[in-house]
Amino acid sequence: MEEKLGSISQTLIEGKADELQKQVQEALDGGATPEDVMNQALVAGMDAVGQQWKAGDMFIPEVIRSAKAMSGAMDIIRPKLSESGGAGSGTFVIGTVLRDLHDIGKDLVAMMMEGAGFKVVNLGIDLDAEVFVDAVKEHKPDILGMSALLTTTMPQMGEVINALKEAGIRDQVKVMVGGAPVSEEYAEEIGADSYAPNAATAVDKAKELLQA
Amino acid sequence: MATTRANQSENKTPRFSLLSKDQKEEIYLGVVKTLADTGADVHNEEARDVLKKHGCKVDGVRVYIPQEVVLKALDTVPPTTTLYNWEGKENCRIEIGRTYFGPGPTPPYFIDPETMERRKYLRKDASMVARVCDALPNIGYVDSLGSISDVTNGLADLYEHADQIQNTTKPLMSWAFNVENARDEHRIGIALAGGEQAFRDKPNFVHYGEPISPLVSDKHAIDKCVYCAKERIPQVYTPCAIGGATVPASHAGQIVVAMSEALVGVVVAQLLNPGTCVIIGGMQSILDMKHSTYAYGAPELSLMSAALTEMVNYIGLPMFSQSGCTDTKKLELQSGVEATMSVHAAMLTGPTFVHDNGYTESGKTGNIFQTVLDDEVIGMARVIQGGITVNEDTLAVEQIRNVGPGGHYLYEDHTLEHAKEHWRPSLMNRDSYEDWDTKGRPTMSDRIVKKTRDLIENYEGPSSRVPSDVKKDIDKILEEAEERVQGKSQLH
Repeated sequence: MEEKLGSISQTLIEGKADELQKQVQEALDGGATPEDVMNQALVAGMDAVGQQWKAGDMFIPEVIRSAKAMSGAMDIIRPKLSESGGAGSGTFVIGTVLRDLHDIGKDLVAMMMEGAGFKVVNLGIDLDAEVFVDAVKEHKPDILGMSALLTTTMPQMGEVINALKEAGIRDQVKVMVGGAPVSEEYAEEIGADSYAPNAATAVDKAKELLQA
Repeated sequence: MATTRANQSENKTPRFSLLSKDQKEEIYLGVVKTLADTGADVHNEEARDVLKKHGCKVDGVRVYIPQEVVLKALDTVPPTTTLYNWEGKENCRIEIGRTYFGPGPTPPYFIDPETMERRKYLRKDASMVARVCDALPNIGYVDSLGSISDVTNGLADLYEHADQIQNTTKPLMSWAFNVENARDEHRIGIALAGGEQAFRDKPNFVHYGEPISPLVSDKHAIDKCVYCAKERIPQVYTPCAIGGATVPASHAGQIVVAMSEALVGVVVAQLLNPGTCVIIGGMQSILDMKHSTYAYGAPELSLMSAALTEMVNYIGLPMFSQSGCTDTKKLELQSGVEATMSVHAAMLTGPTFVHDNGYTESGKTGNIFQTVLDDEVIGMARVIQGGITVNEDTLAVEQIRNVGPGGHYLYEDHTLEHAKEHWRPSLMNRDSYEDWDTKGRPTMSDRIVKKTRDLIENYEGPSSRVPSDVKKDIDKILEEAEERVQGKSQLH
């Protein structure tokens, strides 16, 4: 079985979506638990993808391929996980702030987080602070992620944090920010809990937040 | 499938053009007239005899070469010559339109790879430089970056050749003090090729020789030129012209003198052995009149080298040019600026060989770190020289429709396929601020030093594959050379 799970990881790293779905189904049919397939094969595979990406051995188009393949595999695994209680890495809500229409980086973070075993709610782009507040109330995420690509929209992330405070739910969720113009200093300035310069690091930072 | 009618033969790659056709013709006529009227000194009797036999006027060592003799010589210049490595594999085609970048010969000093201080060039440096150049993807041929100081006086060239040829499978360029040493280098080439005929069929190095500006083919230069011509050793015959000192300060005048003195070698070689390979061109820059140094980072170097490349190609010869060199003493901003300027200009004009990648301190100090920097710059310049491919696939109109407004291309097969064509830096830093910070904020110089030391330490090169009996033959040639040179010194 271990060999089979390893082979699933490899297929995931290679980004072969159809092959991955087939292997995942076979593993489940062969008696593997959804948790084992999720954690030992898929999450392990995406972890390797993240590491290779950070090391410069994989490039974005390949990473996206793996992330998409992961997504396809999750379609099979997810219903089974909820039957058995879930893999339980945590819940992650993410969106791009008001007047910002950029979604590539944000989607990449969402995919990598899903690959790391998080339940991900991707809210979309150009979102009013209220949408973030409502989503936190509704989904009760462990982490709220916000993205901005423009220096003109970046301050909106601070507005969302203020809105969370006003709604009295700031301490119920960790806030992580990112996007090309954002920096560690800026994240601190607006009172975010964490900053990640790229999607691979976002996963590491999210895990750190959960341990904190 | 539709037939497209865009013209793909004109400017498929960028063409940098400096001289008009009329200007080229004027410079060429200046050369022809100089060779006929001013002539050149040729310090070799055999060369003078063959020139005289073909109609040149000879007066003492002075030779006047009429235009019909020049034309006759140019007529037999080979359009293409193939080089091989010592294992007999083709590694270079010497022809117009193919460009190979490499280091250069003979600076007395070298930057020690450990201490980073200037010191004399040592024998161990020659094989190291060969190995590092062998490993660098954009370095197309090997040379030494120095003149060995710790072997018997008068044999630096031979030891360098013996060590370098075994440590690379790329083309090798070797110099020699005199014809005796050139012969020994040839013998080493023959030993590796497996016999004289094998060497003629598959020459495994290029000989590099220099006449002296203005217009002097000194004994050693022309002796070696004659030897290489007769033995069919591909050779470079190029002056180092110093604008304002050994040649006129005006660039056109410099090119006239530089071409004229190099053509003496071409004429001698072609008359002696029609079809033998001669490459001309040579170091072209100015004397810095303030510091009395030969300026290797001067923009004039690139300007004149570009013009001379056009001229040399205009008369049908392969060009030997220069780039990637600097007047600075250590690795710093000036190294990068000057090297980039000359590498890019050379890339756009397309000489056959481009030497001096790794020269610092105005050609006085070889620096392998500079060569490693140049390798990266050459890679970047090559991207621009590669031009843009325009066809149905690259236009990607279908992919554009598939993705539509507001989507992204990261998941497209087309992206996966074509993103592989993007140039990937090995030294240029594109880290995020955080990653760069985590890595200890390395500067370009830090990264160059790290990469270079990694290569020095870990890249083995091919020398262990040289058969032991051939190694013995090479050792014997070196021993005999030692006896010859020491015998000579006893006579004095």
